[in-house]
Amino acid sequence: MAPINTLHILNKAPEHPRSLACMSVLQSGDALLLTENAVLALAVNSIDPGVPVFALAPDLAARGLESGIQGASLVDYAGMVDLTTHAQKLINW
Amino acid sequence: MSTLMVIDQPPYGTWAGREALDMAFSLAAFDQSVTLLFTGSGVNWLRMSQQPGGVEQKSLEKNLSAAPVFGVEAIYADAAACARYGLTVENMIAGVAIASSSELLPKYTHTAFAG
Amino acid sequence: MTNLVMPARNNEGFLENPNDWTPDAAKIIAQDDGISLTENHWEIIYFLRSFYKEHEISPPSNRLFVKSVKEALGEDRGNSIYLMQLFPGTPAKTACRIAGLPRPTNCL
Repeated sequence: MAPINTLHILNKAPEHPRSLACMSVLQSGDALLLTENAVLALAVNSIDPGVPVFALAPDLAARGLESGIQGASLVDYAGMVDLTTHAQKLINW
Repeated sequence: MSTLMVIDQPPYGTWAGREALDMAFSLAAFDQSVTLLFTGSGVNWLRMSQQPGGVEQKSLEKNLSAAPVFGVEAIYADAAACARYGLTVENMIAGVAIASSSELLPKYTHTAFAG
Repeated sequence: MTNLVMPARNNEGFLENPNDWTPDAAKIIAQDDGISLTENHWEIIYFLRSFYKEHEISPPSNRLFVKSVKEALGEDRGNSIYLMQLFPGTPAKTACRIAGLPRPTNCL
């Protein structure tokens, strides 16, 4: 896996102010991991924040969203840990 | 490793910020480098003369004053948020440095927002 | 001492209201732990009283208790061996109980 500069872990719904704040600071070399309510961003439309997007599969499944997802790579819990170990910095939004 | 705890929610309405403060104190207890940043409506934590007796809570202003004793490295307040909520050095608790959130965020290996 | 009304305490022996504390109450709580209070104990107890007045919290853990004492009274008081000898068991818990402070949040 390519190294990640900052991994942004977002767990807020798309309308949440912190979700907007997160989207506004993403930079090339970063990656975005959607968990909990943040996976709802993938139901709104295919998002394109300009960085690689990952989403936690169990959170999508819980919300009935696991099939037909576009614009994000699905990861399980082990994959989430893997992502964090490839990141130089972490921001938990 | 350095940690920035960000509190962007107002005081007294929820427990989110208190839990973040607890976490910051725990990191400091184990001599981990930890800094607090107040931004958004979270800057209202820093207003002087809080009197929370009527809502039956302990004073966050006084709780926060223990941060330097416990070893929290610094307390920052976001400049734009302070301006928005009318906070200046005159009506803010002592020991707070004014900073810009966007300049602080990239400086820490781990940043965690409260709640 | 015979006329002392002991303030209300919770199931772990902490005062329900820190403002109810008196030195006589401290002696009784200390007895429960088999401690008879000396000048060295009182120094720490009054430090904790003033800490609580200023910060409205108990030092949340043993480590932060030691750190706070060290900050205020220096290294020969602010070290875990000294405080453990004065307040056996979990020093932060034992000392806060006797000083009438709430239970430290992070002490199991």
